[in-house]
Amino acid sequence: MNQILLITDGCSNVGESPVVAAAQAYAEGIVVNVAGVVDGGDMGEHGAAEIAEIARAGGGMSRIVSSVQLSRTVQMMTRQTVVGTIRQAVNQELRQLFGVESVGELPPPKRAEVVRMMEDLGETAKLKVALLIDASASMKPKLHAVEEAIRDLTLSLQARVGESAAAVFHFPGEDGREACVMDCPWTDSTERIGALFRRIRIGGTTPTGPALMHVIDYFRATYGKIDIEPEQPLPQDGRDDTGGVRSGYVV
Amino acid sequence: MIRAGCGVATSFEKELPPGTVLRGKWNGNRYVLERLLGVGSNGKVYLASRGKISCALKLGSEAAELQGEANVLLSLDRREKRRSPFLLDVDDAAVNGRDVPFYVMQYVAGVPVKSYLQQRGTHWFGVIGYRLLERLAEIHEAGWVFGDIKNDNILVADYGRVALVDYGGMTAVGRSVRQFTEIYDRGYWSAGSRTADPAYDWFAVAVLWLYALDGKRLLHLTRTLLPQNRNPGELMELVRTNPHLKPMEDWMSRALTGRFQDSREATLRWRESFGAAARRRPEPGRGMPGWMAGLFAASLALCAAAAAAAWLRYG
Repeated sequence: MNQILLITDGCSNVGESPVVAAAQAYAEGIVVNVAGVVDGGDMGEHGAAEIAEIARAGGGMSRIVSSVQLSRTVQMMTRQTVVGTIRQAVNQELRQLFGVESVGELPPPKRAEVVRMMEDLGETAKLKVALLIDASASMKPKLHAVEEAIRDLTLSLQARVGESAAAVFHFPGEDGREACVMDCPWTDSTERIGALFRRIRIGGTTPTGPALMHVIDYFRATYGKIDIEPEQPLPQDGRDDTGGVRSGYVV
Repeated sequence: MIRAGCGVATSFEKELPPGTVLRGKWNGNRYVLERLLGVGSNGKVYLASRGKISCALKLGSEAAELQGEANVLLSLDRREKRRSPFLLDVDDAAVNGRDVPFYVMQYVAGVPVKSYLQQRGTHWFGVIGYRLLERLAEIHEAGWVFGDIKNDNILVADYGRVALVDYGGMTAVGRSVRQFTEIYDRGYWSAGSRTADPAYDWFAVAVLWLYALDGKRLLHLTRTLLPQNRNPGELMELVRTNPHLKPMEDWMSRALTGRFQDSREATLRWRESFGAAARRRPEPGRGMPGWMAGLFAASLALCAAAAAAAWLRYG
């Protein structure tokens, strides 16, 4: 099961439409959820409409929350999406095999069995969640909450029986040449999530659509393998410190 | 899992009026709703009656979710055959022209722990804690973890009798905890994983006592601590400086760090710590037991009121 979770606080303003990008993700089997973070109500009507539309196109859900609610919202959306994905698949099987529309149409004893199986699947299926973080200027005061939400989500992913991994991206890239930068490849460890954003330079445009496309590419590039990166970081663009300290920790 | 409000709004999410009759589509039982008991993340619980029997009826929108909860109750019933069953029925009923799933449970009267202590006095917490741990030990021995221990889910009836409600967090040992509440969660306090094991529940029980006996300071702590500074040590600081919890320091510290062999040991140690604390009373400087002091204060207040009345009348 593949998911993208977009965390943003406003409108995209450059490049490909994020709605089209989300629709593409969904077409490739990746559900897109969106958390809009507002503290003090600075998400305009247009922004709210956009995130709802991205989620609809991406087969997922959207919520507008304050930064204190972010952790639990991220948890809830991830879990609900897993449940929803499985329900959809099971309902489809039921339609083909028994001609009933959904689990709810089965008599309760049969329902009990099917639900037990669905819960098993929900716990044991492979799950990948790519977090895509809007790092435009207005997001700056919210990044602590974002980091905490990501740490919290990794903790829950770790607890699953099935293989689970998270990856983290932010956009825009520095000096505007890239739409999006990867902060952390697929990982199942909370340690790698600490102090993710200390280094990034905040600001610039909001290329939500191109950034989404970038993350879809990453899913495609890592498809079929869920290789968790080794704990020891690999040297990367010469900025990594020695001694197993991730560059992200070094200011 | 913390569930924020979600799902599409549908007509049956409105509260149904008392007197509404539900007839089960599969099993044919007839229920009359009496009043709303509570609202959960995925449904509403009503006090209902089936003939002369009172029961709690949970009405929801998602059949699979409700069935998941009913499955947990059923497996507990199968395991604990000596008591009366928790799960009474699972069915669908037509409400406003569409089929809505529901299940029916034993009705449990009682008030949440904190309210009980406020009404009856904090000296009840030893008995309540003991009964709670005993109940959890049974669940753990059956291979489950309760998961969502919190004030609202622990109901206390007369003489400290404890009942657990809302089994939405019940998780098989080794799986990820299905539903939890932030401040009671071991992961939130950087004290361990969210994989279900008995220690997950012990931790939440310790936080429950902090919430019930020192709620203000606990909530203040959660608001002011930075996420990276949340740890059991901060909670222990509250324990050490609370007169009710200080005698339980050893137990609390073990619960917060998972240092019991099993839930039976947790129960025995609770009884020992509490017993020792109870035997130490009355403390020097305090001449009478708390409950008597309470009575004394009440009668003083009565006297004062009478005096004030007299003064008003004759003054």
